[in-house]
Amino acid sequence: MANTVIGSSIVIDGEISGDEDLVIQGTVKGKISLKESLFVEGSGVVEADIETQNVEIAGRVTGNIAASDKVELKTDCRVVGDIKAPRILIADGASFKGNVDMDIPKER
Amino acid sequence: MATAKELAPGAVNNTVVGQSILISGKLTGDEDLTVRGRVEGELTLSRTLIVEPTGVVKANVAVKNAIVSGVVVGNINATESVELTREGRMVGDIHAPRVIIVDGASFRGRVDMGEVEPGRMPSDRSALPRPTGATVRPAVRPGAAPARPALPGARPTPPAAPAAQARPAAAPARPAPPPAPAATRPAPPAPPAARTAEPTRPEPPRPPVAAPVPPTVAEAARKKVVVKKKGR
Amino acid sequence: MAQGEQTGIIGKGIIIRGNLTGGGDLIIEGRVEGQIALKNHLTIEGTGKVQADIRAEELTINGEASGNIDASGRVAINASAKVAGDIKAPRVVIEDGAVFNGSIEMDVKLPDDI
Repeated sequence: MANTVIGSSIVIDGEISGDEDLVIQGTVKGKISLKESLFVEGSGVVEADIETQNVEIAGRVTGNIAASDKVELKTDCRVVGDIKAPRILIADGASFKGNVDMDIPKER
Repeated sequence: MATAKELAPGAVNNTVVGQSILISGKLTGDEDLTVRGRVEGELTLSRTLIVEPTGVVKANVAVKNAIVSGVVVGNINATESVELTREGRMVGDIHAPRVIIVDGASFRGRVDMGEVEPGRMPSDRSALPRPTGATVRPAVRPGAAPARPALPGARPTPPAAPAAQARPAAAPARPAPPPAPAATRPAPPAPPAARTAEPTRPEPPRPPVAAPVPPTVAEAARKKVVVKKKGR
Repeated sequence: MAQGEQTGIIGKGIIIRGNLTGGGDLIIEGRVEGQIALKNHLTIEGTGKVQADIRAEELTINGEASGNIDASGRVAINASAKVAGDIKAPRVVIEDGAVFNGSIEMDVKLPDDI
């Protein structure tokens, strides 16, 4: 189980980087860069710039998000920041403030 | 893997830093933390830190308990215990009431279990000085002011001191200043003289101190001055 | 070689002040103050009190020791022990319940990237 979980009472002020999935139930301030998926759960609070492959957000995120694959904003999430990703899903009930950049590849 | 994620919200005390993860900065929390990857910076938990064999913690750590099977570089301050298992490697200082180092573990640094100092080891003897020391302490404050003029008196008084120690009950009964300074440091009369000499030196210019005081003290004072010069 | 020599015992009633050197194993049940240099194994029993710098191959402490310890082998601080001083040895073991204050110097092999 190479699964990283940042529990709900944990506060990290700094940088997180790695090559595996990361689940955040607590608070992370600073910067997150992953090569896999990031899950910000309902209790999770992230005040950080995020660089990853996939992100699923059910909690709160303040910061810019850059995903190489997909960003998913789930119901009840609160996201403030710019999102850059080829695929972006925003669920009904999600609140989001910021720019979306899907960086459409030149298909013409 | 999916089950782990599902379980995680319920199992609150379950923070894991996976093998490929690097966290650098400040980490605080009220739950157990298992480190399989790397944490650098500062780590504060009100519960247990578990550093697994693949884990590396390069941080100053404040926790309740720490179990180290991996690598820790930095100081660990634990309110309960620190255990280095057979795979544990640590460089840094440990401050904890309970410290366990298992055969196979390697460690370089200081261990401070607090409470018991080497002074307590001859337990019978230390039992006496401690209470007297306690009674002396309050006496020092009122006695501190007279201590300087009492300088010449320091030598004749020592006989009174053991009497005060012999009856610790009498000491608190009489917090009167005159016996107090003698009681504070009964055994070595010289060191207190040195301390009292310190403040006297800067106050007046050098020789006037000697004039009103017996010549022996003046000699002593000079000697002390010389010593200080050497020291500097 | 000194190996295989008899085991010496310093009994409960004995107090030694000074230097203690020897080739065989030694068990201290009494008191020793000064310096100890042994080629083999030193055991400080529960009744033993040692205030000395100790050099030995191996050291087992069940009693009290204060002073610096330099061992070429293993130093075991057992649960009943109270030890104060600096220890230099390739292997040091502290059991739960033991009291130790001081520094420990073992060879720690750290990963290269630290």
